[in-house]
Amino acid sequence: MIAVKNLTFSYGKDKQALHGLNFAVEDGEIFGFLGPNGSGKSTTQKILTGILKGYNGKVSLFGQDISAAYGPEFFQKIGVLFEFPYLYTNLSAVDNLNYFASFYPKEQRRDVRELLEMLEVKSSFLKKPVSSYSKGMRQRVSMARALISSPRLLFLDEPTSGLDPSGAVLFRKIIEQERKKGTTVFVTTHNMADADLLCDRVAFLSNGNLVALDTPKRLKEKNSNHRVVIDYLVQGRRETKTIEAQELEQGIPFVHDEIVSLHSQEPTLEDVFIQYTGRGLS
Amino acid sequence: MRIAFRALFQKDVRMLASGKFFLMAIGFLFLYTAYINLGYLRFMQMEPYSVYLYDPAGTQTEKSPLVQTVSSMEAMKTALLSDANAAGLDASGGTIRVVLYAGAEAIDRHRADYALSLLRSSGGDPPEILGTNTPEQKARKEITCELLFFELSAVGFLGIAAVLFKEKWMGVLRVHAILPLRKNWFLLSKLAVFLVSDLVFAALLTLLNIGLADGITVLPAVLLQTALLSLVMALAGLLCALLLKDFRQFTLAYLALAVFAATPVFLSANTSVKFAWIGYHPFYHVYMGLKNAYFETAISPIYCVGMAGVIAVLFLAVQLAFRRETGKGG
Repeated sequence: MIAVKNLTFSYGKDKQALHGLNFAVEDGEIFGFLGPNGSGKSTTQKILTGILKGYNGKVSLFGQDISAAYGPEFFQKIGVLFEFPYLYTNLSAVDNLNYFASFYPKEQRRDVRELLEMLEVKSSFLKKPVSSYSKGMRQRVSMARALISSPRLLFLDEPTSGLDPSGAVLFRKIIEQERKKGTTVFVTTHNMADADLLCDRVAFLSNGNLVALDTPKRLKEKNSNHRVVIDYLVQGRRETKTIEAQELEQGIPFVHDEIVSLHSQEPTLEDVFIQYTGRGLS
Repeated sequence: MRIAFRALFQKDVRMLASGKFFLMAIGFLFLYTAYINLGYLRFMQMEPYSVYLYDPAGTQTEKSPLVQTVSSMEAMKTALLSDANAAGLDASGGTIRVVLYAGAEAIDRHRADYALSLLRSSGGDPPEILGTNTPEQKARKEITCELLFFELSAVGFLGIAAVLFKEKWMGVLRVHAILPLRKNWFLLSKLAVFLVSDLVFAALLTLLNIGLADGITVLPAVLLQTALLSLVMALAGLLCALLLKDFRQFTLAYLALAVFAATPVFLSANTSVKFAWIGYHPFYHVYMGLKNAYFETAISPIYCVGMAGVIAVLFLAVQLAFRRETGKGG
């Protein structure tokens, strides 16, 4: 679906934002693109969505070189959710979606009301201007805008930002549903829980370089210290011991009366990210 | 594609309607019409200066009825104090002496000549009148032209910028960057809405204020000039809105435009004040194009071609600024 080879980009002479990125995203995959502010995530996404030109390297989408595919046909196939809910605040959710939908072929458009219902936008707000909506409501309408054209490739920038926990769960469910339909999803996020729960693979970006690319599970395994922390009771006292996971193959290798808890020391995705880049995400 | 343009056009009309732009345009139309008919024309029919005469011996027998006689020099000074633009004539010493508060030298001379002329009988050869316009019709055309120029250059410029600033603030420009439409259409639909609105405004203002018969005669030329000016100002408004950070910066730019661009043009085109450099001022030619349309004077085709060139260059600049803006942030 997406193939990027030796992608470089500079803002002016001395401000190189991307230093030769190489990655590919398969059809129907949910691909996470993680990196701190200024790492080049937005620049990459803007190149992939056809907004930014003047890059070097090769970028192909839908098997076609993107430099030759900036026409309306290209934009018909993609949906983009921006980090902020960009909508006409003087129009209602229904009017916004009808307006944005009008640029796509009829057979491609989804039913506006059905979509808003799926995103649990309160029906009493449908005809009210967006200016009266909460940030979470606006984000839901924006998601509806990104999905209105049944895109084959969906770009999501911080999809759960501004949502309450139930909204975030709903968005993750919808993204999963989209994938099941065959949509490829490219997620740019700071949210490690989103990346861990949603993405088939994640790429770590730091200072314009791709420093790691794998499934979240493998990244965590690779970077684990393979230790286990055991809380146990012995002679009425509570003790804690850290042992190598391998040692467990022979059973618990110390005297104990009762095991209270057993914690694997697998790192979180954020820990792994810090190991690779030397800095946190936020 | 036609459907996409219609959607853009309808959305822009809704944006303008929600910003009360059309309501304001109708308001301005009534305001200008009321000003022309109830204020300006009456003002133009008034005598330019009051003239007071102190003539204790009654020597001035052919004086005009416009001359007001005073009983003493003190009375004249009191009258001149309350009406500093007036001129006084003191005939108490045998010869006529002009008394007035000093203003600009040329105007003072004109006031003195005018006051003295009122002491002579109105006989003699009348001057040859050029053109077919009556003084009232001339005044109507002049003021209609000025107000239309103001409306197109100031209100249209502000209006289109206000709409674009609103869209910039809402972030929807970025959404349009990833929609399957020709990006030029986003700009063209805005230009089309303002063009249609300006043409309707120009036609109504002209017909309401210079009359149906004369109005229909001059309308084709007026509408052509309106279209040229409307496009130039709308493109300038779009460019400013795309390049400037916020509406506050824009209002400063607008003030600079109003003070430094419009003022010398109005002075040069409508008064005896002439600046040597005014020929290099682009707005002067635009204003004169509109004035020539109202007075049915031939408009140079070179001017029209030049304007078309300016519109094309401005459109290219707006396109570049639009691309730059949609590629920012987000």
